[in-house]
Parts: sequence; structure tokens; C-alpha cells
Amino acid sequence: MDTTNANATIKCWVELYSDQLYTWAYYKISDRETAEDLVQEVFLAAVHSFKNFEGKSDPKTWLLSILKNKIADHFRKVYRTNANNTVSFNQFFGSNEDWISDQRPQQWKEDEEQHLLDNPDFKKTLTHCLEKLPANWKASIVLKFIEEKDSNEICQELQIAPTNYWQILHRSKLQLRKCLELNWFKK
Amino acid sequence: MKMLMNFLMLSCKKAASLIDKKVEVKLSWKENIQLTMHKSMCNACTAYEKQTKLIDKILYTHIHSDSETNIPVIKNKELQKQIITKL
Repeated sequence: MDTTNANATIKCWVELYSDQLYTWAYYKISDRETAEDLVQEVFLAAVHSFKNFEGKSDPKTWLLSILKNKIADHFRKVYRTNANNTVSFNQFFGSNEDWISDQRPQQWKEDEEQHLLDNPDFKKTLTHCLEKLPANWKASIVLKFIEEKDSNEICQELQIAPTNYWQILHRSKLQLRKCLELNWFKK
Repeated sequence: MKMLMNFLMLSCKKAASLIDKKVEVKLSWKENIQLTMHKSMCNACTAYEKQTKLIDKILYTHIHSDSETNIPVIKNKELQKQIITKL
């Protein structure tokens, strides 16, 4: 297919899909400018590799897969430039290594994830809680879920020891749990 | 008996970390026994495990899933124009 044709098709896709892609990216990144830059890069990359598309899949799915790669690249960079953030465990556990009394996990009422994620207010709370994590922790979380890679592969890409990696995830989840409890489940 | 108990006992701090470790790495048989023992006696860590699993599912859907069901699309006409001029 010639380039004029590719350009015309992609211009049409910009009109159809750029808002959806932008919304999707914005909820992962929480930064307007970066989300805009990445969506722009997606369409430029789409022009270049248009011949690989060949109508094999749904255009939105294809564009989204390019966007996922771009987001993963972005968070790999974030991880590298923010390595070595640490937060102490002391806020969760006392000197006897037992939960500090007001930090002890209690039963939550709601626990249907789809139901929660269909709620725009919950989505906002979740985005807010992710934003409060140290930058390299959030990067590790996004990288764990955005592409379906196993932890060995992620550790290699980030050049991080597996023990370090699961400890970052563990600390992130302790902090996320607390934040969601305070701002959602106990509100 | 006391030695056996010491061998099997875990603190909540250690138990919580094993709960999250288990998702990424295979636990040793000793860690598995310790964790099972601990959870059978500790409501807080049992609740922690349930919640951290829910958080994993939520994060997977939030970060991975292709559709933003029920989430209003953010309109960005400026961006659209900008991309079209660059193409």
C-alpha cells in the first residue's frame, strides 16, 4: 500500500481513536503532556509500520498495542531515573514485627473488582493512590501489568534482582492497600 | 516442642512479605508451611492476603484491560489537530 493511502487511513483513525487512546494513556500516566506525546508517537509509528497492519486486526487494538509498548518504554525510563527510593516498614509494623494496631487489615465490605472499576470515583481514587507511590515503584507496578511478561523478563529489562523486585511490589501493595482503605473502603 | 514452634513461627511483617513474594517467586517448603501456620492463627494477615489479591486483580484490569468501560472519554481536539498536522 502506498504512503498517501496510509496517511489518509491514519488521519481517519486519529479522528476515530485519538480521544480513546488519550483517555486510556492518561489514566495510566496521570500526566497530560506525557500522555499526549505518547499518543502522538503512536500515530507516527503507525504510519511507519502501516504495512505490518494489513487489516489483520481491529485498528483500535493494533494502535493500543503500540501505545502499550510506548507506555512500557516510558515507565522503564522512569524506573531507571528514579531507582533507589525506599520507604521504611515502620509505618506498618511495630518493633515486635506485628501490625501496628491502626494498620491491621480489617475486612473490606465491597470486593468485586469489575464493579469497582466501573465506578469513575473509584478509578479516581485508584489513580490518586498510584500517584502517591514513589515514581520507581509505580513504574514497577505498571510494567508488571501492562505487558504480559513474567517477572524474570521484567527483572532482566530493569536489571534488578528478583528479590528486590518482589520487595518493591510488596511495599507498593502495602502502601496502596492502606491508601485505598483510607480513601475508599472505610469512607 | 518449643524449638519446633520457633521454627514454624512467623511475624506478621514476614508473613505479609511472603504473601506478596508468593505471587512472583516460588516459596520454599519451609516458607509455605510457616505461612499456612501463620494465616491459620492470624485474621489480619488472612485479610491482607485477600486484599492484596483483590488489588492485583484491580491493577490488572486498570492497567492492562483494553476498554475503559463506563469511564467518560476525555476529548482532546487540540491533540487531534496537532497529530494530523504532523502526519
